Amino acid sequence: MAESEVEASSPALASGTLERLRELRSRYPVARSAVLPALWVVQDELGYLPPWAEEVVAGELGLLPGDVAAVASFYSMYFSRQAGRHFVQVCQNVSCALRGADELLAGLREWLQVDEEGASPDGSFTVEGTVECLGACGGGPMMQVDRYSYEDLNLDSARAILERIREDGGGGAGA
Amino acid sequence: MGGAEPVPDGLVLTRYQGAPGLTTLDGYRKVGGYRGLARALEMGPEAIVAEVKASGLRGRGGAAFPTGTKWGFLPQGVFPRYLAVNADESEPGCFKDRVLIEEYPHQLLEGVLIAAFALQASHAFIYIRGEYRKQRELLEAVVREAYRAKLVGKRILGSDFGCEVVVHGGAGAYICGEETALLDSLEGRRGQPRLKPPFPAVKGLYGQPTVVNNVETLSNLPYIVTEGGAAYAALGTEASPGTRLFCVSGHVERPGTFEVPMGRTTFRDLLELAGGVWRGRRFKAMQPGGGSMQVLGPQHLDVPLDFKAVADAGSSLGAGALVVMDETTCMVEVSRRLVDFYRHESCGKCVPCREGTYFESQLMHRLEEGLASAEELASLADICAGMDGRCFCPLGDTATWFVMSAYRMFKEEFDAHVGAGHCPVRASVGAAA
Amino acid sequence: MGEAPAHSDLVRVTVDDREVEVAPGTLVWDACERAGVFVPVYCAHKKLEPVAVCRMCLVEVEGMPKLQPACATRVADGMKVRTLTEQVRKFRDSNLEFLLLNHPLDCPVCDRGGECDLQDFTQRFGPGRSRQSIQQKVHFDKAIPLSDKIFLDQERCILCWRCVRYYEEVTGEREIVLQQRGVHTVVDTFERQPLRSQFQGNLPEICPVGALTHAKYRFRARPWDLRRTASICSHCSYGCNLFIDARDDQIARYASSDNEDVEDSWLCDRGRYSFPEYNGRERVTAPEAVVTGGRQVVSHREAVARAAGQLLRIISDRGPEAVAVVGSDLMTNEEAFFLQWLARDVIGTPHLDHRLRPTPHLDPADFELGIAGIEECDLILVLGEEPERLAPVLTLRLHKAATKRGRRVERLQPPYTWTEKAQPQRVGVISSEVDRDAGVAIRDQLRGAGHTAQLLTIMERVNSRGCQDMGLLPGWLPGYVAAPQAGMGLPEILQSCATGKLKALLIVNPSPELEAAPEFEAALRGVEAAVVVTPHPGAASRGASVLIPGRTIVEKAGTVTNTEGRVQRVRAAVEPSLTFPTDLRTLGELAEALGANLGVSPMATPVYEKLAAAVPAYRGAQAGMRARWGSPG
Repeated sequence: MAESEVEASSPALASGTLERLRELRSRYPVARSAVLPALWVVQDELGYLPPWAEEVVAGELGLLPGDVAAVASFYSMYFSRQAGRHFVQVCQNVSCALRGADELLAGLREWLQVDEEGASPDGSFTVEGTVECLGACGGGPMMQVDRYSYEDLNLDSARAILERIREDGGGGAGA
Repeated sequence: MGGAEPVPDGLVLTRYQGAPGLTTLDGYRKVGGYRGLARALEMGPEAIVAEVKASGLRGRGGAAFPTGTKWGFLPQGVFPRYLAVNADESEPGCFKDRVLIEEYPHQLLEGVLIAAFALQASHAFIYIRGEYRKQRELLEAVVREAYRAKLVGKRILGSDFGCEVVVHGGAGAYICGEETALLDSLEGRRGQPRLKPPFPAVKGLYGQPTVVNNVETLSNLPYIVTEGGAAYAALGTEASPGTRLFCVSGHVERPGTFEVPMGRTTFRDLLELAGGVWRGRRFKAMQPGGGSMQVLGPQHLDVPLDFKAVADAGSSLGAGALVVMDETTCMVEVSRRLVDFYRHESCGKCVPCREGTYFESQLMHRLEEGLASAEELASLADICAGMDGRCFCPLGDTATWFVMSAYRMFKEEFDAHVGAGHCPVRASVGAAA
Repeated sequence: MGEAPAHSDLVRVTVDDREVEVAPGTLVWDACERAGVFVPVYCAHKKLEPVAVCRMCLVEVEGMPKLQPACATRVADGMKVRTLTEQVRKFRDSNLEFLLLNHPLDCPVCDRGGECDLQDFTQRFGPGRSRQSIQQKVHFDKAIPLSDKIFLDQERCILCWRCVRYYEEVTGEREIVLQQRGVHTVVDTFERQPLRSQFQGNLPEICPVGALTHAKYRFRARPWDLRRTASICSHCSYGCNLFIDARDDQIARYASSDNEDVEDSWLCDRGRYSFPEYNGRERVTAPEAVVTGGRQVVSHREAVARAAGQLLRIISDRGPEAVAVVGSDLMTNEEAFFLQWLARDVIGTPHLDHRLRPTPHLDPADFELGIAGIEECDLILVLGEEPERLAPVLTLRLHKAATKRGRRVERLQPPYTWTEKAQPQRVGVISSEVDRDAGVAIRDQLRGAGHTAQLLTIMERVNSRGCQDMGLLPGWLPGYVAAPQAGMGLPEILQSCATGKLKALLIVNPSPELEAAPEFEAALRGVEAAVVVTPHPGAASRGASVLIPGRTIVEKAGTVTNTEGRVQRVRAAVEPSLTFPTDLRTLGELAEALGANLGVSPMATPVYEKLAAAVPAYRGAQAGMRARWGSPG
């Protein structure tokens, strides 16, 4: 982004988000500890973590922007690019794979017509390619959409859940 | 042996199963919740430590280190001290901590407060993995409720003891389950393991004495404090005291978590609790302990859930998982999947893990697709030998354990993939079906 | 540093059957080195905390089931270490295979080729071939300019973290950080922002491979093309030890040495990258003299004879006090001592100086605090920004004192005062020569309040301290003895030349400020004779009646004294492309032509003996010791 553009648009976080960052900082004996929670709050607002937001977090916590970028890029749940409105993860680890996770993921990708980055054309969903074990091995195959888990799925039930989420805009109650 | 049905009387972690409203303070108090904390405050720190030692409780995160001994490593008179609660449950096949948080969050918080009092910790940080977002929010609500009820904060239950509890969300990194990586992550850094010594008990969070305990470990404390360490120990055997919450998943009819007495239950009992192998198929293999641990075969089904017995069989109870695989399972594919997992989760700190998991993964993909040569397959043992015991932390070491044990136990299956151009197991299952 | 522990405090360690005694707490890696056993390592660095991430140094320690990292394991009494077992050998082979999996095959175009630890260890310990196909390599960005000084090649990086830890531990600037995870991990700056540190030049040196390279050394040379000379950085008064790597008559680079009492192995970019000033700058190539009808090239012998003749004529016509002698703080101690002797004892003039800016009244007590001693102070007061501007590497010492030794560092702003009450402690006060009086006042006040206080005054140029110790000053003889007659300082000398009061100038190695001063040109026009010894053309050479080519500081041998009074050797790293005598020899010939009996060969070593006789503090100090001035009087 050219510098003039940055100045022209001058992106900023909502004032409530900034207050939240300060509140988070005060919870910890050392301000740096608030980095992960702060990044969550920022990502909840923006949907991803643009460099300018990393700079804001760094400024609030008395760090350098590089410190924040080093942390953000380490954790797989922080996004450096704008994701779809809903984030879909299909666990592919052993317990789920034994019960058909690969077939479920492939079916959902085909049905959602996602591109290489995992985004559906209408911007509703981003399907994450590689997912850590999501800790729902007892209900595999499972998927997590935003913050909610849906277990014991097959392609039909998963499609129905995503259809409902696309229409509602919300995540529903989860499994 | 025996004891296929968990006796309600013999339950610790899930003893309030079915009681209404357990995620609320009222609901938990109705079943007697927080009596343990009140009792603990009367007992004083030394007496609690003594009960925990008497209980024989060992860490439930995977390393099975005796909890009372771990607490005893804190240097005298050095304050502030911290308690870090490891709720970063990330071991493939494990979901027991999630169940304990979702269904018994106040029991966990009570355990946290008992431990914090025993250790005289000023803060307890519950580090919960990023993927457990809903569970994190539940815990935050539970802690807020407890603050309002003066169960957390200054002068807990009117005593002189105060402790702040902070729920801290991770953001997707398996390695943060390693206790020193968890501390670095909690300090707002890349979650990479630290050089030891110094150990966390001496120099942990912010350079202060710190104890890191697992969710399940701490959830046992209310019972141990109210019923006594001896009563807890008696539920299991002398070598493997107490009960444990096992997660059974994979090719079984009814996957789930089951609290069973240690030492007196076998793998076969667990398999039966989960309804047996699904679809009437035959049992082929199982992975106890989680993604890190070595594969066991049908010959091991009657091994009791005892630390030593499982070690003698060549594996470990680890974090309390059991992944069951039926006769259609390709062991090369399962190995590849686990190797991929470690490649993805390697923090990148040390060479053998960072590069070795990549090397392993490349090889296993080629093998699974039937593209690898015999020479390539032969190099697998070398690659693993360059990693196991050579890495900075156990992640890289354990990235070799399953694949090497599977290679030993199912060598013919691995060999059959060489130059096959496809997966022979899948092909034969397809032909049979 | 510090005293060696008493014998009984040592522990015995056996490394491959060689027994050594080392202090408790010593790292196994250091014990191996002590035993003369080489253990390969990438991540460990003597100046950085151990991290044990490269695993290259894993060795067998008897009684331990797993191989242990030598870089992070502490010795215990009776420990038996084995570095050559089959287990160790196999692991080194494996680890190098791992390191090479994703390393590019661009050694032929890599600046590090020939001095690369990855190349070297692979040759010595590694596998002959890779078992992974080249198509499977992970690719990263190459040749990224991180600044006008440093290039980064992420593919060559082996992730030893030294650069990241250097920025974290040594400078505190954290400009390079780790990003991403696992096999995708890279080192990078935030959003590729350019490096701003003034200590970037240390990065390529701590990098064990060719991931971080100097822009100024890019594709310049191979190590076997270079001739290495140990010397002293000539760019400020701090006296950083370094190596000058020269290819033919050109300096290719400066490389860090490791004198933990001075630079502690770190150079600043201003000093490190100052070497091009010695490459290809225009030189005075032949002696010249004004003969009837104008100046012409003459032989060296004739130039010296004519110089002496011109000076002798003026001395006899106008008296010796019509002559002034001007040196500079780019001269060695031997040259400065010799020149003041030539002025005072041969010519007989009190008018001599070496710098345009007046020298404040400095005495050895203004330099009591040594550079290494800074770390031992409980509290360090730095007066303004000038000390660190003059000597940038001081900043790193202050950072080390604060972060690794837990010392308190306070940077004061003018007007300088310190009123805080505290229990008696050890306090260091650091001022520049300009603020010397304020530094003395604060030190004395602290002493009055019961503290142990010492001052370190930072001077300007490589040998400002030595020229002063040597008495190349009006009014001060060598060793801070007051001269019987105070002569004129440089500003007054120039004025007196212009007005005709002074008739002759002898100028040796003029400083850039003098060359640039308008009053210098006027002075040269005003005198009848100007004998100039200089390496470079300029006002002095233009205005000379006799001009003799001189040498630059990288072309001569001798000693210089850093600002804390440490006497260190400079050595000839390059030969001037034309052969002519050293400045010291030229001055010796001139003195003899003026009728003096030298009594000493005009070479650095014998002249040092002579100056040490005149300045006892310098006795035996020429090997890098601080001159011993005794307790301040």
